[in-house]
Formats: sequence, C-alpha cells, structure tokens
Amino acid sequence: MASASRPDLGTIGPPRVSLDPLAWIRRNLFGSWFNSLLTIALLLGGATALRPAVRWAVQEAHWQVISVNAVVILFGRYPADELSRPITALAILILLSLMSWIVWRVDSLARARRWLLWLWVVSPVAYALLLRGFSLPTPATVGNNLGYYLFRPEVLPRLGQAWRGGAALALAALVGGLTISITPARWGRWLGLVGLAVLAALNVPLSLQPLTSVAGLPLPRLLVLAPLAALGWLAGSRIGRSLTNLPSRRSYVIGLWLALIPTELLILTAFDVGIPGLDPRSVLNPVEPAIWSGIMLTVVLAVVSIVASFPIGVFLALGRRSQLPVVRGSSILVIEIVRGVPLITVLFMAQVMLPLFLPLDLNIDRVVRAMAGMTIFTAAYLAEVIRGGLQAVRHEQVDAARALGLSEVLVTGLVVLPQALRAVIPAIMGQLVSVFKDTSLVVIVGLLDLVGILQSIIKQRDFVGDVREVYLFAGVFFFIFSYAMSYASRRLEKRLGVGER
Amino acid sequence: MSDPIIICRDVHKWFGHFQALRGINLVVERGEVIVIFGPSGSGKSTFIRTINRLEEHQRGEIIVDGIELTHDVRNIAAIRSEIGMVFQQFNLFPHLSVLQNVTLAPVWVRKWPKEKAEEVAVQLLNRVGIPEQADKYPGQLSGGQQQRVAIARALAMQPKIMLFDEPTSALDPEMIKEVLDVMIELAKSGMTMIVVTHEMGFAKAVADRMYFFDEGLVIESGTPDEIFQAPREDRTKLFLSQILSQ
Repeated sequence: MASASRPDLGTIGPPRVSLDPLAWIRRNLFGSWFNSLLTIALLLGGATALRPAVRWAVQEAHWQVISVNAVVILFGRYPADELSRPITALAILILLSLMSWIVWRVDSLARARRWLLWLWVVSPVAYALLLRGFSLPTPATVGNNLGYYLFRPEVLPRLGQAWRGGAALALAALVGGLTISITPARWGRWLGLVGLAVLAALNVPLSLQPLTSVAGLPLPRLLVLAPLAALGWLAGSRIGRSLTNLPSRRSYVIGLWLALIPTELLILTAFDVGIPGLDPRSVLNPVEPAIWSGIMLTVVLAVVSIVASFPIGVFLALGRRSQLPVVRGSSILVIEIVRGVPLITVLFMAQVMLPLFLPLDLNIDRVVRAMAGMTIFTAAYLAEVIRGGLQAVRHEQVDAARALGLSEVLVTGLVVLPQALRAVIPAIMGQLVSVFKDTSLVVIVGLLDLVGILQSIIKQRDFVGDVREVYLFAGVFFFIFSYAMSYASRRLEKRLGVGER
Repeated sequence: MSDPIIICRDVHKWFGHFQALRGINLVVERGEVIVIFGPSGSGKSTFIRTINRLEEHQRGEIIVDGIELTHDVRNIAAIRSEIGMVFQQFNLFPHLSVLQNVTLAPVWVRKWPKEKAEEVAVQLLNRVGIPEQADKYPGQLSGGQQQRVAIARALAMQPKIMLFDEPTSALDPEMIKEVLDVMIELAKSGMTMIVVTHEMGFAKAVADRMYFFDEGLVIESGTPDEIFQAPREDRTKLFLSQILSQ
C-alpha cells in the first residue's frame, strides 16, 4: 500500500537552476550597488593597466629575438648535427607524459578501444615517415628553420635504413600486440595480425640484406629486425594486458618514469655503460652534459630532480620514522641540514663540495652536480611533506595489515604509503612546481638554462635592448608549464578521491 | 580427545606502569568457540591482541598451533597468517576496492596467482552475503557491509583461528544482526573462534565456553549455561545484570 504511493526515487533530483547570460551578469556582477561599483572599478582599472602592455606586445615588441634564436633557446649549445637526439629525448618525455595521462584517464575498456582506434589512424603515418625518411618544407620564419632539423631524412644520421625499418616494425608489433590483447572480438585479433604481416612483408627485401655495422659482423638484418619486432609485440600485449587489468597498469607507468632518467641521459650524452661490445658511443657521438643549455637544460634539470627526488624523499620520510637509531638519525640530519639552508647555498655546495666526497679520478660534470643539488634539496622538502602524510594514516590500518600476516615492508608499501601519498598530493605537486621554477637559479652557478640563454641572447648585437621581450617570454614559458602541472595535480586529486570517502 | 590449538600460561602485559594483564591462563581446543566479556579496561582486547602479537606479552607463554610466540620474526609471520582478525572499527583499507581488500594478503603473503585469489574472494563475498559490492570502495558501504567484508578478508587467508575484537560495537542496531548471522554460520562450520563481545544472544547460541575478564584477570569461566544460570562470582553477577537489563 505504502509502496504504491511512493514516488519513483530515481527520477527526482534537485530543481534545475539555469540562468541566461544576462541574468547571470545581473545577479553576479551587478547584484547590489556595491557589487556594481566593484565590478566597474576593477574592469576600468584592469583595462587602463593592461592597454599599454597589450599594445606594446602586439605592435612594438621585437619578437624576432625569440623566433630567430628559437633553436638556441630550445637546445642551447648542443651540437647542431646531433639535434635529433634532444628531439628524440623530448619525444620520449612527451610520449611518457601522454601515456601517464591516458593510463589515469582510461578507466574502462571501451575507452581504451577508442584510444586504440586513434593509434591505428596515426601509426601508418609514423611507419611511412620511419621507412621512407622524410623532409618537409617549413617556413623560414620558424627560427633557424627548426623544421630542417626535425624533418630532414638524415635526422637519425647514424640510424640507417635498416634501423628505421626495425623501428617501424617494432611500432607495428606494438600496435598489433596491443590490439590483440584488448580486443575480445575475433576481428580485432585478425586486424592485429594482418597489420603486423603487412609491415613484415614491407620489410622483407630489407631484412635479407646483410647489415655490416653491428660490431663489425655481417649480420642479416632479419636477425636484428626479428628481435625488435618481438620486443614490440611483447610490449604491446603486455601494455594491453595491463590495460585490461586496470589497477596494476599504474605501477608500469611509474616504473617507466624511473627508467626514463638513464634512458634520456644515455640518448643525450652517450656515456660508456661498461658492457663490452655494447658501447653506446659506437652508435652516438658522446656529448658532454656541460654544454647542455636552453630549455633543454631547464626541462632535463626539472625532470631529473623531480623523478629522482621522489624515491629519495620517500626513503628519507620512512627513515625519519624508523626504529633504528642510525637510520633515523642520519635521515633527520640530511633533512634538517638541507632544509636549513637556501637553495643557492645547496647549489654552490654541490658545485664546490661534491668533488671532495668523491674519488679524485671521478670528475663529475657541472650539470650533473647541479642536478644532484636540486635533487637532494627537493628530496628533503618532499620528505617532510610525505612524513605529514604518513602521520595521517591511522595506526589501526597497520594493525589490520599486520594481522593479515603482511611483512613490515609490505605493510608500508601496500597499505601505509599509498594512503599517505594520496593524502598529500596537493602539497607534493606544489613542491614539484616550485622545483621546476627553481631550476632558473642555476644561472648563478654559471649554467645556461632558459634564463641564462635568454640573458646571453640580449647581449647579441642585433637584439641589444630586447630585455622585455625576453623576460616576458621566460615568464610565459614558466607560467604555462607550472599551470599545466597544477591543473594535472587537481585532476589527479579528484580521480584518486574516489576511494577516499 | 584433547587437542589444544591455543595455550596461554600466566600471560602478563604492562603498558608503561599500568598492568593490563595479570596472569591469564586459557586453553582453546580446536573447533571451540570462546566468548570473552567484561567491563571496558578489563584487558580482554589486549589479551586477544597478544595472541597474534599485535601486542607483545612480557611474561608467561603463548603457544599457537604448536609454535611459541617469541621475538623471532618468522614465528610471528607464520602465526599471523594462521590467525584471522576482525576489528571493532573494521579497518578496511580505504584506498583499495572490496575485492582488492580481500585478495591483498593471499596474493602477497600466500603468493597465490591473482586469478585464484579473486575466485576465492568472490566465493567468500558470496558467503558473507555481499557479492555485488566487489568493485566498490569501503567508504561506499554501510558499517555492517564493511564488517562483513572484513570477515571475508580475514577468511581469505584460510586461517585456523579467527579473533573478533568487539565486532558489533561500532554498528548501528539494525546492522548487528547481519554480522552476527555471518559469525554464527562461521562458528557452526567448525572454525576455532575467540570473540570479545557483549552480544549475549550470540554467546548463548554458539559459545562452547565463556570467560569473564576484570582488571586483567579471568574472574570466572564456564559453559554459557553455567555462566547465565549460576554465576559463582559477585562481580560476574553484577556485570551480567547490568548488560542484560539494557
């Protein structure tokens, strides 16, 4: 009886309030006489202040100082013939950022499949570019013709045709593996296999020719291409499986971020890895980090100190709470000393003091020393932030985890840390944004990051006096990236908030 | 006939200068259901927490399934994986889904493959009556549902013994029954259980023996019939009259 008269709960929501724009303006901007006064005063004030600035930026500013020097601003003194390497490194960074974004966004298989569709649309272009080599006409106005460096056929000068073929094949295999593993329908599997077969066929003539350049041995290219394809396939199906297994895919991405630093450094400098027969210097010319500069240095410094400081910060925070007096003592010592001095001091210490702690014959590059300084500085601050998060985790959680038989390491890693980090995401991201901006301080120890390069550019004869253009550019650059980071942080917070309530 | 799985002899425990346990002697046979009750601060929670060493006892000995509890970390790990525990405040992991809460320990401690752990978890969620909540997070469940997940989480390790530390005290009245029903079913399946509770209906239904704790001592023990019909000690009589009159 009662249930018959009960309204259908599903269809009743709060009453919708919708305002047309005029009503919105009247209510929010001119609601009362005081509100109206404020609105008008602020609008007038803003317009008066901004008008000359806008007029200057549009009509008077010499933006050529930026466009002519684009390549220098981007890559500084990196050897012109090797520019494909920082471009590759940047591409990897962007790819990984994209991937992280996708991994945190894709919360259903349906969405994963939509992404896959796009991959199928885009990848043939990539194959064509890789297999044929490419050159595109670019307008001369873009700096020192940046397009020339980006798109000329010899962009991967030492990566011969066979290697490009290999890269294309690996990419194809990756897409194929991905398709097969996340498409349940049979047509998806066939599509993956057919795509792979077509690309393999394209590679057959190439594959049979001998490849002489690998360690001086006349290897058939097939021997090189086959493992590349297998690797791509494996990666693709692994990624696919981790996508279907939604919770664990995040750990893959975090692993990739940690692998990023050595990879990027290897591409950019080509140092000896100490494995006989596999010296990267036989493929790439070594480039000293000391000559890194421009936006490239800013980005590398920021990325390296952010990625490297994170695990160190976690360990310092855990160390500070350790039961072992030596671990706790040294963690406190490091954290308090580093937090007790300004970043500038840490940077100078890293330049001057670091060599004292190391063997004489080990000569560490200036850029690497700056990275070490930034990293330890960030790590100390992160450690305090994370410690706050650790304290927010209730002790009952530890009891419950222990009662299940988890070891102390697992209790920390699976139960305490995830909750602690979640609780302090905004503070962590704030810290990381400030690291990014603080990289500009390395000018003081003589490195030419974005700001340093800009300062040297305005000493060029043609651009003396273009101070405003140059610093406005730096400001906009830092703002865009900092804002993007804090935006990403807010999104992340919202997503992870799901399990919090 | 006698097959003790837990033997406690003269267990003492201090918090600083405060003595919480003053020599507890208690033996639990395999398959027995023990109910411990008593006023707050009587040491009953502390006592069951010493059995899986969430609290360390300082004198006496505790032997669980033939293993004596000492400082040896391997002993502690071995014993904890044989004992399931359910807490007053549920203590589910808020950052993990219900299914992940249940599979966490089997995957990481027992090293089961994920598929097997999830299969067992789904069976257990069925058994405690909430199969449809597997992908939700603890914060999205009612207290009674959370406590049933907590029971499933403990059972997933296939323990030989289950400890319950006031499992219904934090629940709204209408949710107490759904949790007690699960516990009664568990008791009837032959699980060895030690339950700290004031739910005397539960004790009458399934307890083999009851222990009355006060001031860190066992004041009186016996079958539910003995305790309810003819308590020997005045303190037991007083306490029972207080909680039964509510």
